[in-house]
Amino acid sequence: MSYLEECLTLGDWLSQDDRRALYKYFLESNDEIYESQVKSLVTYGKLTKTIANGEISYFVNNGKVNYSARKVDSDEYTCEIRAIKLSNLKSLNYKRLKKFFAQSEVDAIHNFPLPGANPQSDSGYGITVYPYYDLRYYSNNRSRLLGFFKKLKVDDSEILNKLRAS
Amino acid sequence: MKKNFSKSVLLQPRIPGLFVVGLLVAQYLIYGSGNSPEPHCTLKVDRPHYSTYLNEFKKINAIKLSITSKCDVPQNYTELTLSIKRLEKRKKVTTSKLELKRKYSNTNFPNFAKFEDFYILCQKEIDFSYRGEAMGYVSLKDGRTVKVQGNSGKYLAVPCLVVTK
Repeated sequence: MSYLEECLTLGDWLSQDDRRALYKYFLESNDEIYESQVKSLVTYGKLTKTIANGEISYFVNNGKVNYSARKVDSDEYTCEIRAIKLSNLKSLNYKRLKKFFAQSEVDAIHNFPLPGANPQSDSGYGITVYPYYDLRYYSNNRSRLLGFFKKLKVDDSEILNKLRAS
Repeated sequence: MKKNFSKSVLLQPRIPGLFVVGLLVAQYLIYGSGNSPEPHCTLKVDRPHYSTYLNEFKKINAIKLSITSKCDVPQNYTELTLSIKRLEKRKKVTTSKLELKRKYSNTNFPNFAKFEDFYILCQKEIDFSYRGEAMGYVSLKDGRTVKVQGNSGKYLAVPCLVVTK
């Protein structure tokens, strides 16, 4: 089993480092897929996709894109989990939405993993308050400037290499 | 003897309209906008403990902190700043880990939110004591928010079974 496949089954047991590395890995490896998904979302105003054991639905609403999720084969969607503002610049929106896709996929993998050996708690949908593309994630809700400097110290290369080798 | 009333007298309300409006305003002020009295939420911060689950299923040696928020009304989510603090040689306190997390309540248990994925790796030194702390708020389904905070009490030693680098 590759490390990526293992990550898809870990759920609750995915560490913060694993999730952050997954986010970076998805951004670099899914660029073309995200490009076409952004086009579809912007054109139709909605998009649904599945990852691990989760289904993510995106909606464009009042200049924002938000997402909610559900377990595959479940009728029950979560409420709106995250939202991101759209700008008037198309290229900026593409960049932002790709990050939003990667973040939401990591969230979904964390909460709706594929069946595996590890017991899952099913204790509700959990997320880090700030997404990985927000510098406040690195500074724990303090300034973005501090987050910028703390981000420079974060080294996810070891896990990223394991993911790339998958 | 039959009394004759003019139509305008019969249609005139016995209680003045202004009085009725006053009563409604008073009721609104006393009972609010129909919400129940102050909601009550509590935070249960368990003692940091060595996680046998993480050892068994993820092959890591870690100290885990579990936190549960409980309200007497349904909640939307709980947002907390979680930290595990470490006491070294009974003197120096350092924050081993600090994270800002949000947990949405499960529909089966709408009054609860459980945080069960917060942990730190065991350290080489064994004479550390740990304490868990959490602070934040609960967003209720009715739109109100309630501040919550708690800790696991005294710093206590957490023995790690196998020490990692």
